[in-house]
Amino acid sequence: MAQPAAQSIGRWGGGVCPFDAGWRKVMMWWFIVTDGLLFAGFLASYGYARILAIRWPNNASVFSLPYIAAMTFVLISSSATMASAVQAAREQRRRAALRFVLLTLAGGACFLGMQAFEWRHLIEAGARLDVNPWGDASFGAYFFLLTGFHGSHVLTGLIVLTSTAVRLAKGLSTADGVDMAGLYWHFVDLVWVFIFTLFYLL
Amino acid sequence: MRRYWMTWAVLLSFTIVMVLADGASMPRLAFVVFMLVAMLTKASIIAANFMHLRFERAGLVVTVVIGLLVTGAILFVLIAPDAARIHTMVSGR
Repeated sequence: MAQPAAQSIGRWGGGVCPFDAGWRKVMMWWFIVTDGLLFAGFLASYGYARILAIRWPNNASVFSLPYIAAMTFVLISSSATMASAVQAAREQRRRAALRFVLLTLAGGACFLGMQAFEWRHLIEAGARLDVNPWGDASFGAYFFLLTGFHGSHVLTGLIVLTSTAVRLAKGLSTADGVDMAGLYWHFVDLVWVFIFTLFYLL
Repeated sequence: MRRYWMTWAVLLSFTIVMVLADGASMPRLAFVVFMLVAMLTKASIIAANFMHLRFERAGLVVTVVIGLLVTGAILFVLIAPDAARIHTMVSGR
């Protein structure tokens, strides 16, 4: 139902409808804030361990930065295709929306595969939760914690996107549904920006 | 739709610059500040353009952004000095 209050109020107004958004969007944003706080807690504790450490491993000797940059490229690209899917769904172009959601799914699966490969590489090199060959013992724990939780979010995103794609193919999904899936997927991308910078680059 | 691909190009450029900066020789403090500014800029671009936060009511934007940033900053600022103090004690420097 249209909200007449939105026509006459400014950006700061709103009266009984201060967010001027449907319950689904507001709930998704609350979820994003709380989930964001989970990662903020992880990153803050990682920062603590990093400052505390006597010998933190040199990132360049542990990771292949071009490989991590390629993972970032894949995730950013999948965010762009997801945003395009939302736009297409809003314009009632169902087939285009489905195509973009499938492209996003492919990008997410590719990212997850690359992450699995990276995990395997590091585990074979001796990285464990409690010990690693490069330096401070907590390095492995924070690597697996941060990338593992992020990876589980990517996996959840893939499940959500698969459900969205099936519903789009059957003509059941609304533009709102695609929008919510998109918000979640962009959040996954957003979290990666922080992990990429704070864990891999600094 | 063009706006999304422009955003994609900008994000990609930021990523390339950050990776290149990682190989450049610059003072540690300048490097950290540069990376943090670039990270927050990238995050803002994603939230504003991909997540459409720039089109939302200010109440929602402020609730989300301030809520996350302030809580994250408090979490870090409250514990970082403690870590630095213990580091100094343990390393003897």
